[in-house]
Amino acid sequence: MLHKSFHNSAGAALLPAHGIGASATKPAISIAGLRVAFGDVPVLHGVDLAVNKGEALGIVGESGCGKSVTWRAVLGLLPKSAEIGGEARIGDLDLVGARQSVLDRVRGGRIAMIFQDPASALNPVHRIGAQITEALRLHRGLSGAAARAEACRLLDQVGIAAAASRLNAYPHELSGGQNQRVMIAIALAGRPELLIADEPTTALDATVQAQILLLLKDIQRDTGMALVMISHDLAAVAAVCDRACVMYAGQIVETAPKHTLLTAPEHPYTRDLIGAIPPSHGPRMRLTAIAGAPPQRNLSPGCAYAPRCRHAIAVCRTSRPEPRQVAARHSVRCLRLDAGTYQ
Amino acid sequence: MTLLRLNNITRRFPLGSPLYGPRKYLVAVDGVSLDVEMGRTTGIVGESGCGKSTTGRIALGLEPPDSGGVLFQGLPLPRIDSKKWRAQRRQMQLVFQDTLAALDRRMTVSALIAEPLAIHGIGDPASRKQRVAELLHGVGLGEGHGMLYPHQLSGGQRQRVVLARALAPKPSLLVCDEPVSALDLSVQAQIVNLLMDLQQELGLGLLFISHDLRVVRHVSDRIVVMYLGRVVEQGRADAIIDQPAHPYTQALVSAMPRLPGGFDHYVALPGEPPSPTDRPCGCPFHPRCPLARDVCRQSLPELLPLGPERQVACHLVRH
Repeated sequence: MLHKSFHNSAGAALLPAHGIGASATKPAISIAGLRVAFGDVPVLHGVDLAVNKGEALGIVGESGCGKSVTWRAVLGLLPKSAEIGGEARIGDLDLVGARQSVLDRVRGGRIAMIFQDPASALNPVHRIGAQITEALRLHRGLSGAAARAEACRLLDQVGIAAAASRLNAYPHELSGGQNQRVMIAIALAGRPELLIADEPTTALDATVQAQILLLLKDIQRDTGMALVMISHDLAAVAAVCDRACVMYAGQIVETAPKHTLLTAPEHPYTRDLIGAIPPSHGPRMRLTAIAGAPPQRNLSPGCAYAPRCRHAIAVCRTSRPEPRQVAARHSVRCLRLDAGTYQ
Repeated sequence: MTLLRLNNITRRFPLGSPLYGPRKYLVAVDGVSLDVEMGRTTGIVGESGCGKSTTGRIALGLEPPDSGGVLFQGLPLPRIDSKKWRAQRRQMQLVFQDTLAALDRRMTVSALIAEPLAIHGIGDPASRKQRVAELLHGVGLGEGHGMLYPHQLSGGQRQRVVLARALAPKPSLLVCDEPVSALDLSVQAQIVNLLMDLQQELGLGLLFISHDLRVVRHVSDRIVVMYLGRVVEQGRADAIIDQPAHPYTQALVSAMPRLPGGFDHYVALPGEPPSPTDRPCGCPFHPRCPLARDVCRQSLPELLPLGPERQVACHLVRH
């Protein structure tokens, strides 16, 4: 079921202009200097990030690091009390501060988002068929039999068996994994260029989690859309994404291709985070325990990780590191790295 | 030496009202046997609804089994609320996932840790104060934390308080039900390390219940894999993870993303764990099993030995 090919005739139409060659010139979305503050508490301290077309990018971090806030800010989903600065460009359009009418066309259309808890994201009193056709009507102008046929195809694409009969089901009649598949179908309804998956499998059982992760990867590959996967689980991100960013206290501290990030991380936080994951095989080594907890608010003048970092020196507490390119596509925000001394 | 032994325990819960038609039952735990050795860790792993938490509650005597028995240090558990039971409870303690629910938010950390000492009548007020300070230090908290209330602590610190409270009466068995699932990765590693250090120091037997196979492998000497209330496989932790014999264990292990590599050896498993109210007949795993045959649909496989230290419940495994 998982590994069936999604290359059907309608699927061909689903391909946005993709191709990795073109991606180098124009990213699907580029975020620059994104800042968010709630009242006088800053939660994002300038996030710079570009997601290339057709790329699967992972955003990893612990709770409160700003990984979800970044994308909610981009899509205008934060409460009014949030002060947002910087820019998030999709094509020629800047989404930060854009009008509601503009955002309404982008959300669910060019950019779709799925969340951790599908049961609360779906409307419990509407059949899932109606919820998918609603998205088709809003974003593709389909109605009647055409919408129903397309909804059926989408359910089939996300691997729900007997799709035609399932259109009449209510969310409570489906399991958690199936509801997440329905959410993905709704997200795909608008033929997005970018799908943002915010902890898409955290609430699911292990075997179902693997199903959904592989489904996301297959769909991303087959449709050529860009995928951003937000997760606290580095292993899950590594299984799906080509590239990953590690966030800490409202900043991206390291960005690298997946393999580099896992095998040759440079930032002390990334190293500690990988060391904290119990290995799945091989000898059992003592886990790296990072002292303390992630900061609730990051107001320090220096590096946010300095209070927990084993390699911190005096300068780390007083001045903020800027991102530094250590290799192609690999950037790190660490002052110790400039000295090249810590190991 | 065997500290805790569950002997073929079964627990079922009635569903709906007894007035209408024949009564239906949710079979949460069905014929589970397992051992926890002194100073060792037995891990129970499984997906939601597999009965792992109910098994933990039965092990502590918080839930009576419908059949089968629980032996603690070779003796059956006394009746709940009897005097003997309370004395026994000193020896067996519980650590939960939800620390805010486990700690009374109107009590300070010191009072919370001292409470079990008072309940079990251990020491006098002065020596209790001393013991609280020792315990705070033992779980990596400072004396300053003793004055705080649970909401003033982070999740990891609260889990340390829960641990200190559990360790206060010097138990020999600790049942940990998803103790690190709600914590951030970096904090989870702290608590896992602390738990393993304390175990070594105090010679605790641990029953470690979690859905997270990585963590269970890391802490456990033996692993018990449960599916729909039944043990499908148990044995030495490394053997279970490196050479799983049961098709469900194989799928569970393959569904754990590797670092790096991801799902390189993924065994696709259709569907989701069915509800324990509606158990399939025959082998409960057969509707999802890639290898299922007729015999699997008809008869329930028994848990039989495979090699010296392993047991597997599958018709297709050559015992």
